[in-house]
Order: sequence, then C-alpha cells, then structure tokens
Amino acid sequence: MKINQTINKTPVFQVLTEDQCEQIYNAALDVVERTGGRFFDYEALKLLKDSDAVVTDDNLVRIPASMVEQALKSHPSKITLTGRNEKNSIKLERNVVNFGTGSDQPFTYDRETGKRRPSTRRDVAEASKFVDYLSNYDFLMSHGIARDVPNSATYDRHQFLAMIENCTKPIIVTAVNAEGLEDQWKMACLIRGNEKEFRLNPLFAVYIEPSSPLKHTREALEKLLFAADKGIPAVYTPCPSAGATSPATIPAMLVQSLAETLQASVLSYLRKPGMPLIMGGVVTILDMLTSAYSYGAPELSLASAAYTDVAKWLGIPMFSTGGCTDSKVIDEQAAAEATTSLFYAYLSGANLIHDVGYLDSGLTASLDTLVMCEEIIGTVRQIGKGICTEDDHLAWQVIDEVGPGGEYLTHDHTYRHWKEWFVPRLQDRADYDTWVAEGQKTMNDRVREETERILREYQPEPLDEKVHQEMKRILDEAEKRHDS
Amino acid sequence: MADIMERIAEALIIGKIDEVGTLSQEALDNGATPEEVMSKGLFAGMDVVSTKFKNQDMFIPEVLRSAKAMHAGMDVLKPVLTEGADSSMSGTVVIATVEGDLHDIGKNLAAMMLEGAGFRVINLGIDQKAKDIVKAVKENNPKILGLSALLTTTMPRMPEVIEALKQEGIRDQVKVIIGGAPVTQEFADEIGADAYAANAALGADKAKELL
Repeated sequence: MKINQTINKTPVFQVLTEDQCEQIYNAALDVVERTGGRFFDYEALKLLKDSDAVVTDDNLVRIPASMVEQALKSHPSKITLTGRNEKNSIKLERNVVNFGTGSDQPFTYDRETGKRRPSTRRDVAEASKFVDYLSNYDFLMSHGIARDVPNSATYDRHQFLAMIENCTKPIIVTAVNAEGLEDQWKMACLIRGNEKEFRLNPLFAVYIEPSSPLKHTREALEKLLFAADKGIPAVYTPCPSAGATSPATIPAMLVQSLAETLQASVLSYLRKPGMPLIMGGVVTILDMLTSAYSYGAPELSLASAAYTDVAKWLGIPMFSTGGCTDSKVIDEQAAAEATTSLFYAYLSGANLIHDVGYLDSGLTASLDTLVMCEEIIGTVRQIGKGICTEDDHLAWQVIDEVGPGGEYLTHDHTYRHWKEWFVPRLQDRADYDTWVAEGQKTMNDRVREETERILREYQPEPLDEKVHQEMKRILDEAEKRHDS
Repeated sequence: MADIMERIAEALIIGKIDEVGTLSQEALDNGATPEEVMSKGLFAGMDVVSTKFKNQDMFIPEVLRSAKAMHAGMDVLKPVLTEGADSSMSGTVVIATVEGDLHDIGKNLAAMMLEGAGFRVINLGIDQKAKDIVKAVKENNPKILGLSALLTTTMPRMPEVIEALKQEGIRDQVKVIIGGAPVTQEFADEIGADAYAANAALGADKAKELL
C-alpha cells in the first residue's frame, strides 16, 4: 500500500499566482476609493449618499475599501441555475465549467439567401432549440436579437419568451431596463411557482454591463437594484477594449473591470445584502488597424484566464468568454480562434464560458457555428478530463500479458477502455479513397448537414400551455404600456 | 520655405508633437502665412498619415499621435490666423451620440479622424437629445452632422433627429452621416440619412466626399 500520494486528477492551469491576484485586487480597491465611478441613477446615488461613500460633482462616487469588503462577504459563494427542466441544472462553484452562447447579435446569416440580415425572433427561437439539443451547451443566451418585434422597447420580453419556449436549460437574459427585467422575472416566477421559489432556485441570471471606463448608466443601475431586491443572480460585467476604454496592459484592464464590478457589489449590498453576484466580462483589445473589438485575439484568452484566477481567489463565480471569432464566416480563422479561446477558458476553470458561436466580432449569429463549437468543446472536455495513473489504467500487467510482438486489439483491456476516448462526429478520420467516395466533404459541409438535420428533426419539450398563456399575457401588457 | 514645410510634415507623420509646434513657429517667423503652414505643412502631413493608415502601414495610436502633433501646430497658428478665417480646410462637423446611449469611444475616434482630415469638430458628447443636437447645428452651421449609436434600442433616435432638423427647416443645410455597430447602409437609406460609415476612418472619407 502506498502512502503520502498526491495526484493531478485533471490538468492544472494557472496564469496568475495568489500574490498577483492580490495585487490586482488591491489596485482595484485604490480605483474604487480614489478614482471612483460615475453613477447615472437617482436612486442609486441616494443609497450611496446615505452611506459612508463619498458623492461629489453630481454623480462621482468614491467608496471606502471597508464597504467593498463587507459587500463582497454578503454574496453567496456558490450559485445554482436551473432551467425549466429541473434536470438541467448548473453549478457556479470553483472550477466547475459551463459553456453557453452569447447574447444580442444584431445580425444573422440567413440560411436561405446566405446573406447577413437583421436578427429576428425566429433566429432566437432556433438558436434556443439548438442549445437545448446540443449536449455540450449548459446555458443559453439569446444568440441574436428579436429586432422584428413591434416595439424595440420590449424586445427583451419577446426574446425571453422565444428562449423559454424552445430551451429547457438555464438562461442568462438581457433586459432593456428594470421594467423589462421585472417582466421577464414575473414570467420565470410562473415556472418556479412564486417569487420565493425563484429566489431559492433561480431560472435565470441577468446580464448587466457598466460602460467602461467606470460609468454606470441609469438602465444598468435600475436593473442591478431590482436584481438585489429579488435575489436574481446578476452578471455585472464590462466589455472594456484595451487601449481604448481601458488601459492597454492586461492587468490594468482587469483592475479597472474589477473596480466596476466592486462598485456594483457595494450598491447591491446597500440595497439588499445577499444578491448572487457573478464577475468577469469580455476582456480584450481594440484592434489598432481596424478599430474592431477583437473576439479572436489571443489577448482575450490570456486576459480571461488571468481574470478567472482573480475571481477564484476572491471566491466569486466567473463569467468568461470563448468559442468566438472576428471572422465573418465559418472558415479556418473561425475554427482556430474559437478553439483557442475555448481551451484557455476551460483550463482556467471559469464557471460560465459565454459567447460560444459568436462570429464577426460578436455582431453576427449563425446556427452552424453552434454545431462546429459543439464538436470543439467535446475535444476540450476530453483533454480536461486528465489522466488516471491507477491500476487498470497504468496496466503493466496487460503489457506483460501481451508481451513483445503481441497485439492489443483483441485484448479485454482495450475492449473495456477504448470507449473512454472522444468520439468525433464531425471531424473526419477516413482514409483518402473513402473520403473521396463519400463526396470529398469539408468540415464546413459536415457542419452544415448536421445543422440542417437538427433544424429538421429536433423539437424541444413544449412549455406548459397554461404557463405559456400567462407569459403571453405579461408580454401583451408590456406591449400595451409601450404602444405609442 | 518648401524645406521647412517638408520638415513640419515629416515631424507630424512620425508624431513629434513638440517639434511640429516649434517648426510651425519657425515657419511663421520666416515669413510664411498661417494658411501656408496649415496646408503645406500640417494637412500635407496628415494626408500622408491617412494614406499610410489605409495601407495598413500606420496604426490608430500612431495616427492619433500625429493628430496631436497637428494640434500643436494649430495652437501656434490660431493666434495669428486672419480674423474670421476658417481654421479648417474642410469645414465644421457636429458629432454626437444619440439620446439614451452613453457609448462614445467610436464617436471620439471618428471625431479625431475628422480633425485629422481637416475638419473643425464640435463633439457634443453622449446621450444628446434631438432638440439639443438641432440647437448645436443652428449655432455652429456645420457642413456635416455625425450621429452615433451602439444599441438597437437607441438607433430609433436617429430618424427623430432628422425629423427635428426638418421641423426647423434646416434639413437641407447639413449632411447627416450615421455610424455604430448595429447601423447599416439600409438603415441609413430607410431614415433618409445622407451617408453611413462602417468605421471611423471611413467616416472621415465619407465626410470629405459629401462636401
């Protein structure tokens, strides 16, 4: 029998040490205390003025570190999100990784014309179906915007309905403002049964974004305050562009981003302690030739992984980014960029890896990218499983049995273990002649075929009709309120 | 005289901010008119920068540094420019992010590119109500009005600005260019804007075309 054994169950990946995480955190506290942020909401400012925070120049808020640390302690250290099918539950706990799509791409590739056009409610519905079907996706974000709705001020509710109708997994929603969030929350409460059930077992988290550097809009703040009231998990995270809306060096970008989330943490605490908070964001560069906000840059992977180390050190769930590209089409660039960011986000141990399937720097959606990334995530998860060096895996007795010049194909050990390997469904390994005989298909061809098959064949579990009608009623009432 | 103009342009291209200021003063001291320094030194230099940027030989931070150098030259020239003379080669632009939208990095980049292209830019800032934009147009009499929006929920403010210009009877006095990530040529056509630009550099080009 052995003693004093320590093993790696999975690969171990780390960008920053604990000391470096602490440096970033301390610098973020400096920003929160000295530079402050601008808050563009009357209620938020009132809460801050009534506290130990300093409010000057109308809306410039500086907050002492002691308030930040109090606030941080009050957020739950783990969050669980459960879809409308209770089997689809994800944990946001240290090093538990979940993949999901991204939200609100204004354009979609039309499957019939091949042209890029404004996204529609139907695009969101179809994407939701795909996320429901594809087993490597754990959560849903809209993968499009419902732009063909009667009023752009209620798009979020139309979009939510499309998502909940077609996907039984947990969702991360966007909202126009607090009213939009409230309507979506009321709709979700119908599924959980009531408000307290939703608080105990949230169906969705809300995605809220500050405007870097260090500005918080009225809409963002009212959504945050509502989330604090109702205990709705909130992803309060920025999308800074290094060199433009944040400094050009990665640690500084993380310092500023963390400061923005810490400011939100304090505000949620002042309103009502205990709001489940998720940190992170999209941390990448502004491309200095094209001014594109780059989703394919290697810096995105590096910065996201570093930020994940900080989140883990702080004990706050992490919202990271991966599976995305600046390419306008599904080509070699798209595959290369998506793969890189998926790998590093996974290895870093982020809890929510979003924007999987994002094309065209996050502006365009396509169902095919979801299918391509499904395959890539499969390979990533396989590597993430690591290696077991025990007994039947170390298997020296098997080597001994087979002996020099023997074969393993017919051995029982192979029969037992080959199923542990990744089974590719879209990656081709045929010999050349077979590949020719089968039509010389590319990955793109196979992705497209599979996408069309899913579109034709898959139907998600329908929403309970009574609940559905109730939700539609909430939506109709919102439409009436905004009928101008 | 040609020599110092070349040196001003060179210094501007490589982003030597102080040197452009000093050389511009030297040119004035040697008898050049401010208009000559502007066109043969500063704008000549910015033209080269613009071409290099289009050919991917220069990057945005370098372009902006050259623009800073140009400002240093302009600061020297402004006190001696003929009273009332237009200190821009190309005219005035008013630019704003529409109401409800706080995003401004794209707009600010466009403003800097427009200045580099020789425009005088009045940057109204973010979250601008239609009536305030119209007021600024009336006060400044620009050739171009630039509108920016990042959100699909704030894009509808753009046709409202155009409508407000019509109401004031000044729609045909100014060319409207729109931009922002969700904005497209089709949207520009739909709302009766004069042009759409896909990025800041193209915006500066379009502005020149519209003159």
